[in-house]
Amino acid sequence: MKLKDQFRFIQQNMKKNKMRVSMTILASAMSVAFLIVLASVAFGLHDTVIKDTIESPEVTQIEVAGKDIGNGNAESLSNEDIEQIEALEGVNAVTRSKQVRQETRYITEGYEINTQTIQSHFPSMKNAGMDLGEGAFPEEKDEVAVGYHFALNLLKDDVDPEEAEYGEDGHLIPEQRFSGEIIGQTFDLEFKRMQDGEEITETVPVTVTGVIEKPGREWAWDQNVYITDEKLAELEAITGTSKAMLTDPADAAEDTGYDSATVYADDLETVKSVMTSLEEEGYFVYSMVSEMSQINTLFNIAKAGLIFIGTIAILIASIGIFNTMTMAVTERAPDIGIMKAIGASPKVIKRIFLLESTYIGLIGAVIGIAVSYVISIGVNLALPLILESAFDEELPQGLQFSSIPFSLVLIAVAICLIVTMLSGMRPAKRATEIDVLKAMRREV
Amino acid sequence: MIEINQLSHHFTLGKKGQQTRLDVLKNISLHVNEGEIVSIVGRSGSGKSTLLNLISGFIHPSEGEILILDQKVSEFTEEEFADFRLKNMGFIFQSFQLIPSMTAYENVELPLILKGVSEQARKQMTLDMLKTVGLDTFKDHYPSELSGGQQQRVSIARALILEPPLILADEPTGSLDSETEADLLNFIKKLNRERGITFVIITHDDEVARIGHRTIEIADGELVKSGVLV
Ligand SMILES: Nc1ncnc2c1ncn2[C@@H]1O[C@H](COP(=O)(O)OP(=O)(O)OP(=O)(O)O)[C@@H](O)[C@H]1O
Ligand SMILES: [Mg+2]
Repeated sequence: MKLKDQFRFIQQNMKKNKMRVSMTILASAMSVAFLIVLASVAFGLHDTVIKDTIESPEVTQIEVAGKDIGNGNAESLSNEDIEQIEALEGVNAVTRSKQVRQETRYITEGYEINTQTIQSHFPSMKNAGMDLGEGAFPEEKDEVAVGYHFALNLLKDDVDPEEAEYGEDGHLIPEQRFSGEIIGQTFDLEFKRMQDGEEITETVPVTVTGVIEKPGREWAWDQNVYITDEKLAELEAITGTSKAMLTDPADAAEDTGYDSATVYADDLETVKSVMTSLEEEGYFVYSMVSEMSQINTLFNIAKAGLIFIGTIAILIASIGIFNTMTMAVTERAPDIGIMKAIGASPKVIKRIFLLESTYIGLIGAVIGIAVSYVISIGVNLALPLILESAFDEELPQGLQFSSIPFSLVLIAVAICLIVTMLSGMRPAKRATEIDVLKAMRREV
Repeated sequence: MIEINQLSHHFTLGKKGQQTRLDVLKNISLHVNEGEIVSIVGRSGSGKSTLLNLISGFIHPSEGEILILDQKVSEFTEEEFADFRLKNMGFIFQSFQLIPSMTAYENVELPLILKGVSEQARKQMTLDMLKTVGLDTFKDHYPSELSGGQQQRVSIARALILEPPLILADEPTGSLDSETEADLLNFIKKLNRERGITFVIITHDDEVARIGHRTIEIADGELVKSGVLV
């Protein structure tokens, strides 16, 4: 018997009991929609979280906290370490910095500020694709970049620091702060050195060439001054200590290496492999990617759980399919008997009934999928509006509550088909067991 | 065509624990040649229908063997027998056994569908067959909209559509008046003559028995005589 004819048979049979069949289809459509919509929330929120992470520029960054030197001890990175890391495959740049180990002061005509001084490796920052908020990266020894908040806290020198006033934004009030063009401004960098137990003040000149971008986080504060390697070397030569520490050169500690180093991977795909090779070399590393795999695990568990709950709904709907098919077999038993008598093989009869239950499940699944998409779109449109008006708070951009990837559709269809096929199995088997003679005597 | 060797059949009756055995057919051996019309007669309850059901494969014999077209059908699986029936046997039943939800046309077409004949070929064959039995104008009637004789003709059309070499009929005229019966008998004779189809016909009716080349009588499950009638 041809498949096409089997289908025509099924359709004729289904037409004979439209009401019952459509109710069964409705039940399976509802259960499939329930499964998909339920699981789509986990998919949607997961997508949102991942998108946030992937779109953040920090995703290709790997922080290197130090190097394992055995016995659980760590050591800051040295220049050799940096060179080794830079040579690794997939590494774009390694930015690193050392902090000057004493309070420094910057003075220009009429203004001054006390702040941290940090040595930065500007060429690697440039390689990493970092941009300054304004101006250019320092290139010459005396050139520096300043943090976004540096100029905003550059105090007039005739104001007593004790009496400095700050506005609501946390910055100095405009009357007390520097108002000129910061780029190109020349400062005296004032610092101290220790000689025979006495502090001696020294000054060296610096010129601002760039302003670092405003920190991404609202609360972060950056009024540091970033100097070149050569400038730090100059300070160290004057103090006679590493990182310009304020101690007697005779008591000075050895250079402890870089305070922080960040590896920039070429792209998102290479972050993982770079992480692995760094770990193999004994570096302590951290990146958003490591956090992301935990998030992924969590969401995958949530997805599986929700799909499981949805499967229960489909199982319940399958009872309806089982009933419908059992009744169909009972009703059609005389016809089946006649068909068997004239030579329909049990296999074909079984296939017709299995096809019918699968067909019901499939139509249910298709309707269920369509309904799920409508609900999903509706939820994504309506829920943010409701939440925003209820809590009076703006939700993050691109927040997605519900998302139906194709894989979820496939999973739902697969579960639905398997379940409906299983529930159609028993009635189909019963159909093959119908006794020809009893059926022809209308005894079934 | 058909060869039956030492065939016995019994039914088990009653509830579990107090079952009784009913021997319906006892040690039957017989032979039906190709192109023969054989009528089977006997009193009610003698086991005629049981014999035909065994030949048809609707029930499985307790003992003995049945060969049809040199194939040992008594050892067929249900699946194999279904296929064999479709290809080699046609059936005419006393109560027609048409599918009530299908039109005359659809009932006749059914064996072609089961055999997997293409839709185009089916149409011509079915219409031709309906014309042969004189029902081409009734093709869209449901069985409930046809007379008994017309229904029987539909069932004959269905039995003939795949041109089987063997047709089994259990009291085919039981529900027909004498005139319709005569028509049917003439048709059977014609089919036998022109197409060489072998018929095995169970009947109570002497008129019907007379068209057989041979009559087999069964009494109490045993073969009484097997002879050629005039
Ligand atoms: N399925 C069955 N289960 C138990 N006994 C049965 C079954 N079918 C038939 N019998 C018994 O077998 C015997 C023969 O029945 P069968 O139908 O073969 O008779 P028959 O010769 O065809 O009679 P009739 O001329 O009335 O049709 C009867 O006694 C009947 O009761
Ligand atoms: Mg009988």
